[in-house]
Amino acid sequence: MQRNDKKSIASFLTPAAVLLGAFMILPFLMAFILSFTNQRLIPSPRGTQFVGIANYLRVMGDELFKTGLKNNVVFVIVVVPLQTALALGLAILVNIKVKGNKFFRAIYFIPTVTTMVVVSVIWSFLYHPDGLINGFLTTISFGIWDGIDFLNNTSTAFPAIMLMSIWQGVGFQMLIFLAALQEIPDSFYEAADIDGANTWQQFMYITLPQLKNTTTFVIISTTILAFRLFTQVFVMTNGGPRNSTYTVMLHIYNMAFKRLNIGYASSLTVIFFIIILIISIIQRFVLNDTEEVQ
Amino acid sequence: MRKKLILALTLTMVLMMTAGVLAATEITVWYHSGRGPERATTQDQVRRFNEMQDEVKVNLVELPEGSYNEQVQAAAVSDDLPDVLDLDGPFIANYAWSGYLHPLDEFVSQEMKDDFLPSIISQGTYEGNLYALGAFDSGLSFWGNRKYLEAVDARIPTSVEDAWTYEEFMQIVADLQELEDVKYALDFKMFDVGEWYTYGFSPFFQAFGADLIDREEKQAEGTLNGEKGIEAGKWFKSLFENGYANQNPPGDTEFINEEAALSWTGHWNYNPYTEALGDNVVLLPTPKFEKQATGMGSWAWSITTNSENPEAAWKFLEFVLQPENIVQMTDANGAVPSRSSAVELSEPYKEGGDLALFVEQLETIAVPRPVTPAYPVITDAFTTAIDNIVSGGDVEEELDKAAQEIDDEFQYLGIN
Repeated sequence: MQRNDKKSIASFLTPAAVLLGAFMILPFLMAFILSFTNQRLIPSPRGTQFVGIANYLRVMGDELFKTGLKNNVVFVIVVVPLQTALALGLAILVNIKVKGNKFFRAIYFIPTVTTMVVVSVIWSFLYHPDGLINGFLTTISFGIWDGIDFLNNTSTAFPAIMLMSIWQGVGFQMLIFLAALQEIPDSFYEAADIDGANTWQQFMYITLPQLKNTTTFVIISTTILAFRLFTQVFVMTNGGPRNSTYTVMLHIYNMAFKRLNIGYASSLTVIFFIIILIISIIQRFVLNDTEEVQ
Repeated sequence: MRKKLILALTLTMVLMMTAGVLAATEITVWYHSGRGPERATTQDQVRRFNEMQDEVKVNLVELPEGSYNEQVQAAAVSDDLPDVLDLDGPFIANYAWSGYLHPLDEFVSQEMKDDFLPSIISQGTYEGNLYALGAFDSGLSFWGNRKYLEAVDARIPTSVEDAWTYEEFMQIVADLQELEDVKYALDFKMFDVGEWYTYGFSPFFQAFGADLIDREEKQAEGTLNGEKGIEAGKWFKSLFENGYANQNPPGDTEFINEEAALSWTGHWNYNPYTEALGDNVVLLPTPKFEKQATGMGSWAWSITTNSENPEAAWKFLEFVLQPENIVQMTDANGAVPSRSSAVELSEPYKEGGDLALFVEQLETIAVPRPVTPAYPVITDAFTTAIDNIVSGGDVEEELDKAAQEIDDEFQYLGIN
């Protein structure tokens, strides 16, 4: 096949292009258009009208949106570095050639292939005042620990959800790191051994630089996933207590499906999309400028 | 020989069926497939309706309850609504406002209307027209553990008239809390965040003389967050602060395990409660604060404007709303029959029955949730406010916020 055989290029591109167009680009364009209307989920008798930028003006004064955005940012700042570091650590551990490392790879990957809803329900039980975690803490502290209602306390609810999210998501990033680790040629490490580099130096000057592209990918994709935080809070706290776990996605869902205001929810999605886009672009530049591979 | 006979028989049957179908007007009925017995009853009623006459043929389409509203909304947008569908009480106004529902007034005689519980009529009426009629309603009140009530020498009232007063109620709750076996005097089922909060707790606001909105003016400001609303919110919050109720129960076990003495819940717990506690369960009338108020509302049938044969659709509704069929349904799901003539036929609800109190409450003190297209916002804002208040939020601040959101919605909808 020729490299510039337009027919084959087109035939390979079409399926993906059609699906992306129908399920990503078209809905987004529709959301963009709807964000300038007062479209309802159950249409209003007055029909749908263009309302200009009224929805966008309303977003500016929307306290819940700001609360959600603030929580999202906190979540990203805490979860992304922790989860990335943990994933790298786990990947290095399960990459050590010992007997049974496949077993551990599977163990760490299990949470990721379990549906988030199921994971959330189970962790709700674990976090309950009479649940396993409180029971465990009480036992090992000989009764000094007094059960905490993790998910119903404004100061513990969000950290509890962060911990669970890291536990659930880390397996996937571990797998990506693992694949990248196995790509690094053994000869690099052999050469470093001969030069007398210790393990730490090997990690700093061979492993990390070799993983640079992978790390960039993992950080950006984790950031985007973290901004989309929804299922956990929807199932475990529904944004509470007192909005301490409220997120932008939950807000969009509530506006569209609980309050039936599709137009307003669409304008929220457009703004949220732009925010994430800007953050991803900044990340990409920052991560590319530093630590250039020599 | 035998083969031919079978063939001939089959052919005749096919012909007969085709003929029957050709002659009948077909109507499609959408139904949220609820719990087992309720579903079986609906299926049985549709089957009997189809068998007893050949003018109208009903096609029953069952949709899972979890996504029922979304499916109906999607069908409304794409103009694919069936002839008949059942809707949850609070949503009726929204569909009526949007013009998707066919008024039932032309079919319902005054005599028939009078036979329905007033709560059913007010739930189905929007802007003066009747849009929905249900076979059953719901009942809400306190259930008591007789053992504990007797231990504190509480008076056990039996009718709406002689219900506990505010002072009596608070005294009894305080006394119950002192009992050794009682962990929480009150069980409010706080795990069920969502519609339960509005259904279950807005009556307390009404009992204090407040409400979700001013029903005439279509405005929440000054009503929900007025003096009386704040009083109600503070009272509700204090129940949790004083340890009378559990803000985060592990599940629906407090009353059944006899850890709670009074349980605020609906008719649907009649069977579980009597199974667990037997004669120890006593249904109490809703206490009288400044006023007396209880919740109401349930699923109801509507005909859509999409229907080409509303008359045929009404024939089906008329059938399922016959007293005998209502009772068949309420025997299956335990709900309150929606017509006086059906109540008389119902074992638990007829005069002197175990649950007759619910009928009395529905006839006298039940308040429907606001029948307005803004309801989805009202219930969401109120639920959030209650959730926040119970977990320590400031009552005035939370109610102000909810009132503001509700009034914004009225304005957005152009209702006010």
